[in-house]
Amino acid sequence: MRFADHIQFSFSNLWKSKLRTFLTTFGVTIGIGALVSMISFGSGMQKNITERFKALDLFNSITVLPGGFMRERESHDPDERTPESSPGGKAQSVLDDQAAEKIAELKGVEMVFPEVRIPALVKFHDKEEFRLVQAVPASVAASKLVTYRAGKPYASDDENSVVVSTSLLRQFNVKDAQTVVGKAVVITSIAFDFSVLNPGNLAALLRGEKLPFSREDYKLTIVGVAENLGFGGPIPIQSDIYIPPGTARKMKRLPFSNIWDVFRAQEGRLGYSALNVRLSSPKFVEAVKKEIQEMGFETFALADQFQDIQRGFLVLDMVLLAVGMIAIVVASLGIINTMVMSILERYNEIGIMKAVGASDGDIKKIFFFESSAIGLLGGLFGLALGWVTSGLINRVVNYFLAKQGVPFINYFSFPLWICLGAVAFSVAVSLVSGIYPAWRAARVDPVRALRHD
Amino acid sequence: MGNTKVLFQLIRVDRLTKVYASGKIRVKALDEVTLGFEEGLFAAVTGASGSGKSTLLNLLGGLDTPTSGSIEVKGKRISDMGKFELALYRRYGAGMIFQSFYLISSRTALENVELPLVFSGAPKKERGERSKEMLERVGLSHRLGHRPSELSGGEQQRVAIARALVNRPQVLLADEPTGNLDSRISLEIVELLAELNRSQGLTVIMVSHEEALAAEFAKKIIRLQDGRVIAEEERR
Repeated sequence: MRFADHIQFSFSNLWKSKLRTFLTTFGVTIGIGALVSMISFGSGMQKNITERFKALDLFNSITVLPGGFMRERESHDPDERTPESSPGGKAQSVLDDQAAEKIAELKGVEMVFPEVRIPALVKFHDKEEFRLVQAVPASVAASKLVTYRAGKPYASDDENSVVVSTSLLRQFNVKDAQTVVGKAVVITSIAFDFSVLNPGNLAALLRGEKLPFSREDYKLTIVGVAENLGFGGPIPIQSDIYIPPGTARKMKRLPFSNIWDVFRAQEGRLGYSALNVRLSSPKFVEAVKKEIQEMGFETFALADQFQDIQRGFLVLDMVLLAVGMIAIVVASLGIINTMVMSILERYNEIGIMKAVGASDGDIKKIFFFESSAIGLLGGLFGLALGWVTSGLINRVVNYFLAKQGVPFINYFSFPLWICLGAVAFSVAVSLVSGIYPAWRAARVDPVRALRHD
Repeated sequence: MGNTKVLFQLIRVDRLTKVYASGKIRVKALDEVTLGFEEGLFAAVTGASGSGKSTLLNLLGGLDTPTSGSIEVKGKRISDMGKFELALYRRYGAGMIFQSFYLISSRTALENVELPLVFSGAPKKERGERSKEMLERVGLSHRLGHRPSELSGGEQQRVAIARALVNRPQVLLADEPTGNLDSRISLEIVELLAELNRSQGLTVIMVSHEEALAAEFAKKIIRLQDGRVIAEEERR
């Protein structure tokens, strides 16, 4: 039999029992649709995260933490300390400007800026919010780490300007970002006030009624509104309000922003709590990391974490795949059922075909072509269904997330391999489903089939 | 018996036996039948129902395989053939027609006639031409696009004949071809078979319980009873 005849035979046979063909194909459509949307969701999530990381150059960054810091947190057993990665006696290295300069000289390092976060009250429109105000250099604020919904980044490291994010504006009940550009915001920092520490106040101090702190107000102008990001923001910028480092330096403030700073201060090595290192290319990550570690610091590179993330995605994909496969198995049972029914109905016809010279192989192929035609149609419609469904889900999810200020994200991805793979897989499943019916049809005894009439 | 003719024998049947077994019951449908059919012969096989006529024809047509004995067609032992070879034999060697016509109801007359050519892989154009030619030959050129349900019994049997002959087989096996037809149409159909036999030298073996029809057209009549040949009659 010719290939074209097989195609013509299978479609005309399927057309003969339209309702049954429709129902069976619909089953496959749903199965493939489910599978396609599951896989495209997994692939979409992976793509989003990978692309965002790449777009933000996050693979280019290393976070430097003070020596011994991570290890003490991770392992409470002193015997487990691994001396080789934190070589002899350098544990007291201080993460100060000197260290930052040394790191900046390493090959491949583009920029080093310390992580400075000032606990402060942010007052805008008579509403106060507590925030850690971060010092971010003008060059970083102007980099592609940040996208601006309104206004622009500050031009120098010393101006009295501030950039706020859309999420902070939401806290202040501001809807239109454009309206706040040029407005003033008051940042109130807390500093030590040693004047309180006199014997007359001692009793009140001990009771906690009076504390040795004072408030310092700083009036800054909002120059830009930054888009906050769907995944909690890029690592080097962790706050939703940031100011130039020069301005930060001028602020009176506490010399620590977390409890670790306090401990290090007591050891006489209070430096920055972290340094953000940006490289010109991800290929320098390993070498720079090693050199920084030799200086006695801890490093944290997102590139390392990314492998774990990808392993996580593999598990997610597997779970999604398993759910989709259930639908496919059900659809495949539907195909088997339809094909077996079709044999019983066409018992006589099979006998006739054999009587006029059809071989067992011809009959087998006729049934295989029919089941793969179901698979092909189901695969194509399923792909369309999956595409439409994920589009709808995407819109609904984005509609609700947009209300919370999350920018539009395409949660599904349909690369070519998913499209082709879905149709090919559908046909393959249908072929497998057709094995038993085809074998049964080929075994029909023509004498009995003709007597069957 | 005593058939000593030296004419070329197209089909030789030797001690052909077919036993049907269903559970513990064994039925001997054919019991050591030995026969010969010369090329270009119009033969009739008659007998009461259950005498083994249809079984003999199914074995000759390669639809069934014998329990023992052999069938040779043009020197080839079809009784030893595998499934695929038998399919090829049915496709090219023997054409069959039946009492119930056995046309595929969803296909037109032309498509039904084309069916054997589809399995032999003939190109679409050639298929159409040969099938039309064949339908013309049986007098149905005006019925190409009709489905079996739109055709009379006699017309349906003509379509079946065209289908049986479209691959130019050596022998036409007709199993009660007039069983579902009235006497006038029956006569027309058997006349058509006889005409094909005369004009093209087509070997025809027809199973029929209608003695009169057999006697009028067949040159050789074989009578079966309980799976055995009880008489073999040569005419003229």
